[in-house]
Amino acid sequence: MDGKERKQRKHQQKHSGPKADKKKLRKQGGSTEEDGRKRNPKAFAVQSAVRMAKTFHRAQDIKAKKHHIPLVDRTPLEPPPVVVVVVGPPKVGKSTLIRCLIKNFTRQKLGDICGPVTIVSGKKRRLTFMECNNDINTMIDLAKVADLVLMLIDASFGFEMETFEFLNICQVHGFPRIMGVLTHLDSFKNNKTLRKTKKNLKHRFWTEVYQGAKLFYLSGMVYGEYQIQEVKNLGRFISVMKFRPLVWQTSHPYVLVDRMEDLTDPERVRTEPKCDRTVSLYGYLRGTNLKNKGQVHVPGVGDFQVADVNFLPDPCPLPDAQKKRALNEKERLLYAPMAGVGGVVYDKDAVYIDLPANHVNQQQEEVRPTTELVQSLIDTHATLDVKMAASKVTLFSGSATLDPADIDQQTGEKEGPREKLVWDPNTQRERRVVVFSEEGREEEEEEEEEDDDDDDDDDVDDVSGSSDGEDSDQEEEEKDEDEDEDEDNLSTFLKEARAKSERTEKNGKGSPPPVKKQKLEEKGEVPVFADSDDDLERSQEESEEKGDAGRAGDSGHCSEEDEEASDDDDEDDNDEESDDESVEEEDGAAEAAAEEQMRSESEGEEEQGALRWKDCLQQKASEAFLRQQAAAPNLRKLVYGSVAEAGDSGEDEEEELGGLFRVSRPQKSKKFTANSLDCSRFDPETSHNWDGEEMLNSIRDCFVTGKWEEGQDAATLLKEDEELYGDFEDLETGEVHKGQKEQQDDAENSEEEEEDNDEAEESLVKVDDDELQKNKRMEKKRRLKERFDAEYDDGDATYFDDLKEEMQKQAELNRAEFEDVDDEIRVQYEGFRPGMYVRLEISSLPCEFVNNFDPHYPIILGGLGSSEGNIGYLQVRLKKHRWYERILKTRDPLIMSLGWRRFQTIPLYHIEDHNGRHRLLKYTPEHMHCGASIWGPITPQGTGFLALQSVAGTKANFRIAATGVILDLDKSVTVVKKLKLIGHPYKIFKNTCFIKGMFNTVLEVAKFEGASVRTVSGVRGQIKKALSTPLGAYRATFEDRLLMSDIVFLRSWFPVTVPQLYNPVTSLLLPVGAKDGWAGMRTLGQLKYDLGIRNKPNTDSLYKPVVRGQRHFNRLHIPKELQKALPFKSKPKQQQPKGKTPRDMQRPSVIREPSERKVAALLQALTTVHNHKKKKAHTMQHTKHKEFLQQKEKQEVAKLKRQKEARKKLYRVMGQKDQKKQRSSLKGAPQDD
Amino acid sequence: MASHGLDYDGCNFFRQRLVLSTLSGKRVKIKNIRSRDDNPGLRDFEASFIRLLDKVTNGSRIEINQTGTVLFYQPGLLNGGSVEHDCNPQRSIGYYLEALLMLAPFMKNSLKATLKGVTNDPVDPTVDLLKSTALPLMKKFGIDGEGFDLKVVKRGMAPGGGGEVLFTCPVRRTIRPVQLTDPGKIKRIRGVAISVYICMCMSFNRIHRKILSFGLTLVAETLSGSFFSAEMSSTPQGQGDPILPEDLGRNCAKLLLEEIHRGGCVDSPNQSLALLLMTLGQQDVSKVLLGPLSPYTIEFLRHIRDFFQIMFKIEVQKPLEDERKGGDKVLMTCVGVGYSNINKTLK
Repeated sequence: MDGKERKQRKHQQKHSGPKADKKKLRKQGGSTEEDGRKRNPKAFAVQSAVRMAKTFHRAQDIKAKKHHIPLVDRTPLEPPPVVVVVVGPPKVGKSTLIRCLIKNFTRQKLGDICGPVTIVSGKKRRLTFMECNNDINTMIDLAKVADLVLMLIDASFGFEMETFEFLNICQVHGFPRIMGVLTHLDSFKNNKTLRKTKKNLKHRFWTEVYQGAKLFYLSGMVYGEYQIQEVKNLGRFISVMKFRPLVWQTSHPYVLVDRMEDLTDPERVRTEPKCDRTVSLYGYLRGTNLKNKGQVHVPGVGDFQVADVNFLPDPCPLPDAQKKRALNEKERLLYAPMAGVGGVVYDKDAVYIDLPANHVNQQQEEVRPTTELVQSLIDTHATLDVKMAASKVTLFSGSATLDPADIDQQTGEKEGPREKLVWDPNTQRERRVVVFSEEGREEEEEEEEEDDDDDDDDDVDDVSGSSDGEDSDQEEEEKDEDEDEDEDNLSTFLKEARAKSERTEKNGKGSPPPVKKQKLEEKGEVPVFADSDDDLERSQEESEEKGDAGRAGDSGHCSEEDEEASDDDDEDDNDEESDDESVEEEDGAAEAAAEEQMRSESEGEEEQGALRWKDCLQQKASEAFLRQQAAAPNLRKLVYGSVAEAGDSGEDEEEELGGLFRVSRPQKSKKFTANSLDCSRFDPETSHNWDGEEMLNSIRDCFVTGKWEEGQDAATLLKEDEELYGDFEDLETGEVHKGQKEQQDDAENSEEEEEDNDEAEESLVKVDDDELQKNKRMEKKRRLKERFDAEYDDGDATYFDDLKEEMQKQAELNRAEFEDVDDEIRVQYEGFRPGMYVRLEISSLPCEFVNNFDPHYPIILGGLGSSEGNIGYLQVRLKKHRWYERILKTRDPLIMSLGWRRFQTIPLYHIEDHNGRHRLLKYTPEHMHCGASIWGPITPQGTGFLALQSVAGTKANFRIAATGVILDLDKSVTVVKKLKLIGHPYKIFKNTCFIKGMFNTVLEVAKFEGASVRTVSGVRGQIKKALSTPLGAYRATFEDRLLMSDIVFLRSWFPVTVPQLYNPVTSLLLPVGAKDGWAGMRTLGQLKYDLGIRNKPNTDSLYKPVVRGQRHFNRLHIPKELQKALPFKSKPKQQQPKGKTPRDMQRPSVIREPSERKVAALLQALTTVHNHKKKKAHTMQHTKHKEFLQQKEKQEVAKLKRQKEARKKLYRVMGQKDQKKQRSSLKGAPQDD
Repeated sequence: MASHGLDYDGCNFFRQRLVLSTLSGKRVKIKNIRSRDDNPGLRDFEASFIRLLDKVTNGSRIEINQTGTVLFYQPGLLNGGSVEHDCNPQRSIGYYLEALLMLAPFMKNSLKATLKGVTNDPVDPTVDLLKSTALPLMKKFGIDGEGFDLKVVKRGMAPGGGGEVLFTCPVRRTIRPVQLTDPGKIKRIRGVAISVYICMCMSFNRIHRKILSFGLTLVAETLSGSFFSAEMSSTPQGQGDPILPEDLGRNCAKLLLEEIHRGGCVDSPNQSLALLLMTLGQQDVSKVLLGPLSPYTIEFLRHIRDFFQIMFKIEVQKPLEDERKGGDKVLMTCVGVGYSNINKTLK
């Protein structure tokens, strides 16, 4: 049809006319709501006040619901990597997913996923992936540290118990973000079943997590990997996800360990294989600030004192802030030392494993550096003599600078940039950072590189990338290199390691392997210049009696460098100030000596470096000195520095200097202070002369009468006011107040005016003055208005807003306070910040920890609060889990996960009675909370916990037995159980009884005097007094007379003791492969079952047939007197009931004659006829009467009707009459009245 | 698994150690208590203090050796509640109260302590001084409310004792961080003068032999609510030279001037209390401006580092050229440990 071809006409917009005008007006915003309001005010008026109130109320409710208690934002500027835990039942695709995600983010392939894998996922975010196996211990531990959980679900199978168990664990320990991932979706052939399953799973997941929780679908595998686009989407979700702060995590520091080194002396291990190990553990610090020397709990191992903490440069740093959208290829870092990737070990016991920077392009090797390999490398590298040398070095801290160089010469290996990363606690390396700023440090490295071999090509670029302007030629070189290899922009660690390996290759072998694995020996020491300042530091400290090697690395004790550097200068000043520091002078001397000695050494070693260092030092020292001058008494040193040893005197005695000499010091001063009077009063030693005027003048400004600060001064404020409200006339008095501004302003501008005092310019100045004054006035007005606004015009700021603002302010202050302080010093004040990569040294770990180390199991260092290391009684609220099929029995051991810990303990269940008594329960209630008392680690109230009956192996059914929360901590328990003491009466006077068998001694009775007792039948009584014989008998009174057969009992409450079992679950110490086999104390039931013991039942408890004897009751005897008084009804009846009539009284029967019989028959017949007639007549009569009654009724009705009508007529007439009467009365006055 | 303990020497700073030990849960061992003294071992007042500590805690373990030269203290949990204690009259109630002020906010039940003994003596801060300076200071840390009070029920002087003080303090879960950097200007000076066994209508000079004791406490309040205090008490009879009340008053005033000269937001006897409450605050930055640190405070800072691993940033603030505000001030900055009262029951 042609209609089809014809196009529909386009709408033509009007460009003129009234419609177009209207439209234009509307476009210009002519008629707004305001307009409407004006035009039609009624429509906008309040219709209903109630409704308005309601809507307002509701709006406020909604607003208030959104409020949370504001918390101070303590997140660090550079947060630690987000912990992404991948959980799921076996064979669900966890490793594959991690591998795909890592590939997605870093373009690198990873073989075995061992331990945490940290990657840089974006400009602001790093991720740490951790796979969670199906050991419930692992699940518990990882739930505590997870920020995000990827919960893998095999869609072809459905949910498995592990999933729900993990969700329940999460619920208890703070709910991290949870994202579900459905895998194995390709196993569905039918599309409809697929959709149905997806939906079912989704809804079930939502009920478990929250409505609308994200569930991802990974539809299928392509060449053993998930589809790229899907993984990418998942990755995107992860990298934009926001996390909620969890209470436990934000209040405790923790480290998910990603590297572990055994530092124990190999010789000692050889001779004593079971000796405790010294282990250093590495990882990102998360949670909150970590204090040095704190206590940590390692779940699965136990509680340990941290010997030392120091922070290392970030092995997986975020890219530098640059304005670009995506990450550079070189910035996509991957760090997984346990998996053997990025394991750039820069410690003294070091192994270097490297992936080439461009290895993405290279063919992937099947052989990946695994932990076994690393382990083997470690094993081979440490020859005994090297170790010996190293150990010697650490001992002789004084000569520490010499040795590494020696070793350097011996080995002939130059490891320039690596040295920078060496973190030797024994030489307090961390201090170097303070004295030399970053540039300094890097400069040193560069220099060393120059010295060593200049032909290194790519080791310089990124190292010196940040140290611009230090060395011009170096920089040029570096620039060139940058241009050449733009992609060579990896992290310093990778870079340096690579450089090293290449260098060694050049030195030694000819052909480099495709994947470079280089094992290098690590020096016990480092080059001199890098260390020299530390030595200065240390020598000082040694002189201050705290330089023992073990504690040297302790950053909690190291004092600030620059100040100390200049200590010599102001030592004498200090001495005057310090009151109890007679040691100071000696310090000074010792310092000077040590410094000199050290200098000479260092100069001998490496002149260049030393010179550089000196330059720097001089400059720094001069700066520091100036600062010192400004603040004369170096209080920090006074407080923490030199006198620290007075406190820990225990260490003094064993202290050694340089490993040879014992420090012996006159201890007079210490003894003097140690036992003096303990008083907080601070009396002035040199009292000022307060009689003199000048002294009094010195505090004049402390009073309100003194001079005020600029802007606060009352006089200036007053002046301001005067200027504002210059002249006014007092209308009441008629006075005219003139503003004095002219004079004042003249005074203010007097200098200017004095300069040009010419008369001719006077007028010009005047004009200028006017302008100036006007401006000034405006300015003042503005200021005043601001002040007014600040005071009154607070908007509708609520309490909540105020609180939020306060928190905001505090957060800003927290950030700003230590922002410009160097990290070295900052960690002393703040502790180590979350986000730092830290190394923790623990000195006494059991050897099984190292021997049975399995990187698949997470190692967590959970920091403990100040008193969380102690044990006490905990009172908890507990509920048996709905899905656990048994109830729990009191005194059955239970494994609990509380705080960081997993431990076995013996709980007592109880319930609170209405009077506050905690009554012991034998079993937990089925569907109710009950209390429980346990002996366990002190943990803050409000912490959640979960309980398991066993952690060994896997079971088909749900393993979480109970969940709960800590309520109270104490050192004693208040649980009681009911105790009924039973006794029998042996003598009964009226209401008084003697009762025996309840107590054994008089004393016991005395304790219970006045206690109430009861009989089984319910007669109440009271214990009165003990009797002398038999022992334990007493006199009691009752409200009624007792029977000898009565049983008397006393209800009492007996306090129970909680068994003190605290048995940490040491699952990490079990051999590899059997780590899920931890079995603790068995329950009584298990024990009996295992040993085949059966309970012998109490014979009294067995059921027997009840045999009851016949009871006879005596006759009721009523006294005669009473009988008399009773009414007849109640009187016992005297006469006997009628018996049988005796034979003589019985009458004989009559036998009739035949004639008599005939007569009788006739009479009988006649009577019958008569009766029949009578009956008939009666019925007749009855019917007649009935008819009559009917008629009568009819008549009655008719009569009534008639009467009614008649009455009606009558009333009508009467009514009319009445009306008439009324009408006439209304018309006027009645005539007849 | 109990946390490691700390070892100390000598009886000085006895209270600090025990108080910090109680708060941190770390056990402490004090050795060589007056070991070289003619009269070695713990004194009665120290024993009395330990007894008081035992009363307010639950589950503390205290071991003292035969001679009393070694004390081992494993702290229990702070219980609080109603406590009555006869303080040994060798030291005034202030000695005991200072420690109790530090512990009181962290108890399980709110503390209601009746302390009996000497209320005023020249050695320790008197009850009046603590009442007028320490309590307002604690209020700034968020410890206030209905039951926060210190009441002097009876006075008692040095040798005999017989005074009675009622101290009540509510329980707090957390302590607020503070920024006390502006001391403000002094607006008023108040004081308490006490005398025992003196007929006030008579001239002092005439009967000063019969005078047994008298004392004066002066408190200067600033606009921003800081308090400076000074006090003097006459020495107990028979000890030292008798002093005229007029002289005592003058000297006390001079002491107050000295205290003002030191300045800061907290006066010298309360420095350690302020620092402790800063330490036990949330993990936030607290700042307090102090006058010169007293030796007691310096030792306290070291102890805080031992027990809580907290170091203070100490900055000396020199007065400006034209300012006439007394001597150097010290700005103390720290980040709290994030201490929360683990004794308080969760309902």
